[in-house]
Amino acid sequence: MSGANRGAPRAVLPRGAWTNTLHAEWTKLRTLPGVWWTLVALAGLTAAVGAAVTGSVDTANCASPAGCMEDTPKLALSGVRLGQVAAVAVGVLAVGGEYTTGTIAATLAAVPRRAAVLAAKAAVVAGAVAAAGTVGVLASLAAGRSLLPGNGFTAANGYPPLSPLDGPTARAAAGTVLYLVLVALLSLGVGTALREPAAAITAVLALLWLVPVVTRLTASAVWQDRLDKVAPMPAGLAVQATRDLDRLPIGPWAGLGVLAGYAAAALLAGGAVFAARDA
Amino acid sequence: MTAPDPTTAPSYRSSVQADARGGFGGLLRAEWTKLRTVPRWPLALLASAALTVLVALLSAAGSESTASGDGPADPGRLQIIDLGHFTYLPLAGDGSIVARVTSQRDGGAWAKAGLMIRESTRRGAPYAALMVTPGHGVRLQTGYESGGAGGGTAALPHWLKLTRSGTAVTGYDSADGRTWRRVGSVRLEGLPRQAPAGMFVAVPDTVEVRRQFGGETVSGRPGATRAMFDHVSVSSSQPGASWRDRGGAGGPAADPGADGRAEAGGTFTLKGMGDIGPNRFADDITRTTLTGVLIGQAAIIALAVLFVTAEYRRGMLRTTFAASPRRGRVLAAKAIVAALAALAAGLAGAFGSVLLAGPVLRSHGMSPPSLADEAVLRAVLGTAALPAVIAVFSLAVAVIVRRSAPAITVVLLVLLVPQIAATGLPLPAARWLERLTPAAGFAIQRTVTRFDQAISPWAGFGVLCGYTAAALAAAAWLIRKRDA
Amino acid sequence: MEATIEVRGLRKRYGAAVAVDDLSFTAGPGQVTGFVGPNGAGKSTTMRMIMGLDRPDGGTALVGGKPYRSLRTPLCGLGAMLDASAVHPARRARDHLRWLAHAGGLPARRVDEVIELTGLGGAARRRAGGFSLGMRQRLGIAAALLGDPPVLMFDEPVNGLDPEGITWIRGLLRSLAAEGRAVLVSSHLMSELEGGADRLVVIGRGRLIADTSVGDLLKAASRGRVEVRTTARQDVMTVLARAGATVTATGGDAVTVAGIPSEQIIALLTQAGAAFSGIAEHRASLEEAYMELTGDAVEFRAVTGREAR
Repeated sequence: MSGANRGAPRAVLPRGAWTNTLHAEWTKLRTLPGVWWTLVALAGLTAAVGAAVTGSVDTANCASPAGCMEDTPKLALSGVRLGQVAAVAVGVLAVGGEYTTGTIAATLAAVPRRAAVLAAKAAVVAGAVAAAGTVGVLASLAAGRSLLPGNGFTAANGYPPLSPLDGPTARAAAGTVLYLVLVALLSLGVGTALREPAAAITAVLALLWLVPVVTRLTASAVWQDRLDKVAPMPAGLAVQATRDLDRLPIGPWAGLGVLAGYAAAALLAGGAVFAARDA
Repeated sequence: MTAPDPTTAPSYRSSVQADARGGFGGLLRAEWTKLRTVPRWPLALLASAALTVLVALLSAAGSESTASGDGPADPGRLQIIDLGHFTYLPLAGDGSIVARVTSQRDGGAWAKAGLMIRESTRRGAPYAALMVTPGHGVRLQTGYESGGAGGGTAALPHWLKLTRSGTAVTGYDSADGRTWRRVGSVRLEGLPRQAPAGMFVAVPDTVEVRRQFGGETVSGRPGATRAMFDHVSVSSSQPGASWRDRGGAGGPAADPGADGRAEAGGTFTLKGMGDIGPNRFADDITRTTLTGVLIGQAAIIALAVLFVTAEYRRGMLRTTFAASPRRGRVLAAKAIVAALAALAAGLAGAFGSVLLAGPVLRSHGMSPPSLADEAVLRAVLGTAALPAVIAVFSLAVAVIVRRSAPAITVVLLVLLVPQIAATGLPLPAARWLERLTPAAGFAIQRTVTRFDQAISPWAGFGVLCGYTAAALAAAAWLIRKRDA
Repeated sequence: MEATIEVRGLRKRYGAAVAVDDLSFTAGPGQVTGFVGPNGAGKSTTMRMIMGLDRPDGGTALVGGKPYRSLRTPLCGLGAMLDASAVHPARRARDHLRWLAHAGGLPARRVDEVIELTGLGGAARRRAGGFSLGMRQRLGIAAALLGDPPVLMFDEPVNGLDPEGITWIRGLLRSLAAEGRAVLVSSHLMSELEGGADRLVVIGRGRLIADTSVGDLLKAASRGRVEVRTTARQDVMTVLARAGATVTATGGDAVTVAGIPSEQIIALLTQAGAAFSGIAEHRASLEEAYMELTGDAVEFRAVTGREAR
């Protein structure tokens, strides 16, 4: 199918315009050098780190296997902490690449409505990250399911085998995919607002990673609690918890909501800057 | 082909050649000019220092004194625990004390029951303690460090003897009270002529550490232990001296019989709570105060990476290499300038943090880190040096990768993720992560030996420097080999 | 140091693609040497190898008889503008020149001198990001002149400039050469060098096609061609073509004839009664000469390619 030929006449028709914008953004994203590798890395890192973590945990350090109190689904899904780097990269590069190369002028010549361009970018980024994230999450659960029983986390000790069909585990898994999508959208928003990929990546990674590290070193429990409630990564990853929910600083969905708030704010800021500034 | 000879026209001579000198100083000045003339870059240095100090102030403002009662907690003394129960007599000059431990109950493998001689009953005073433990045999412990000479297993009842001769204190044990085996000897400089000596019990707290990604909660429950002693004899005690006690918290126990000591027919029963030894769960106030460098370094990393990639992206590196074709020297000049600039920001950030957070900490009833303390000074200077090393590391990665976004991601990844991931992993795995990755460098900020310490401060800093040296070597090789 | 660039048997390949293939030429003092070829012919690669930025796979490139990388004060040996946009946009023009002077070990007064020389003056305190293309070219040239070098090299200096800028650069190049410097100027458009260059080094696909003076090249390209002005173009073309000449229509009332001398053309046309208003030796433009040369180069390559198989 020749997108260019079909795109030209359709662009005149308002009805097909959105589809075309979407199609154009998808074409741009998938032809961006490195995007496929980044998406593969997203799934691969998530699964590999998850497997490494579940493989290294055992019940030997605990008084009794049941006393380990390990949240096995969360443990299996812990690879997203690293895998999200790829989501950040996809989000930032989807727009940042256009500014460094100057493609943005051509993009806006083809679709002058900037909000539509940003919405289409958000849609394709979300789709791509959701697909890769789902693969990574399912692979992580599969790895956990096969590795955990060997380390003493057996059903007899109170750790049923991981299954994406089990209620809390399903919520943790779906929430993790959503988490990755939201992180990518946050990055897209920041990338649009800052225009410089280097600055955007630094800003997003600092926001995601620094707060947890600082939290860890904060002496005050009150402040730790506050930071965990408002920082995008700890709050967003509350969705992975499947036990001791009452001890979480913030509820699973509420936490994901905090992250969604960050993503929405970033996209709005990006959209405002995008609309106001010259390309 | 008609290639006419270069004509016989007179050749031009450069008018400035005589004044020109190729030297490393010029390269350093060139790189410094580059750094200071892009307005964003000096701003990044300022931002780095400002963020570091800001986080220190915030964390100081959010701190709460955990010390109970008696004034500001001394950070030096927070690192040790000196509790348990001590029943003593003043020992006059050289002499010895002998007792038989007949039973020991509760407290786990490191419950302690035995003899102790110390400089005074003041908390934190130098001591030598010879003890029986249920899991680690007979030990001679000193200096608030765990372990100590000895080992094996000790079947109860067991005889213990502690002799003092000058500043030397030697411990012996025996199964029957007749044949003695030397356990070990320690020197206690400054031991007064009249030193308190007697029996003690101590026990480590039961600690539950809940680790989760991004945080850990340490909750301790004081343990309790009980032991019985008989055949107690003290040679050359002060005539007429009677047994006195030092209990769990706060000086000599007012009510010796109720909790600490019971005596019946030459048999002493001692009950005690709390340990004598290092505090492996102490808050490291110095480190908390210097946490800000983690945030400040983000600006340094971005700056150091862009310092290189901006030249690659715009082809400016060709101009640089045209002016100075010896590329290794260009890289060296760049690294030195970036390191010195980051060091300046680091010094401002580290000293600013300690000096400005001090009053805030004091107003919250805490004793701020003192630069007079050797460990604190090392941590502060190390924190100032971290940005410099990290700048060189980032610069080298940027030369290898040549693009800003991947370079920044890689550097942040190796510096931060191990620290986050470590909190979510089982301790052994977490320790290796913090030993083997460049994140080990942050160990230089530690002034307290905690239960989760992965690597000693200098060794950790050395790991980061090692990675930096390797990255710089790879960068130097690549920059020479590759076309500009 | 002699003001020359000598390139001997230079080769460079990127993977399977040959960028420069056994290239030899010399640029001498007191001359503007045009370095011409289509886009992708290997001009920039050659210039980078002359400056020691890219490592040749074979051959040598010498500046004043020495490899560039062995020059003690390289900016005083060769000044180059490879890419006028290679400036950090946030840096002031003056600061850009200043760091370059430091790096080259040059006295700081040179910065003001070259700003004066290139007419940057008022713009020197502005950030380079806001410069027009013309200002950026001036900044690039200022950087090249910093060490007052006897050899200068400019990669596409007039590309994208307005006529005023082109005139200024041409004048500058001429005056630099008149001082006894060797000036190598690359371009992918021969017309840009018309009236600016003394000698031409023409390359195509990394190979040397011609190394000649401008006069010789034009003579060679014009040789034997005659221009006939006529209102009866069709008649004239028919008559001459029948006599074996190669005839091309070159305008509303002109044809260019190759293959038969002008005396014979006059005779033929008079005999056939074809009306013509004038007849003159054709003077080829540089562009034509160049098209002819590079066209051959492409053909030549195609033939050798087939032979190789």
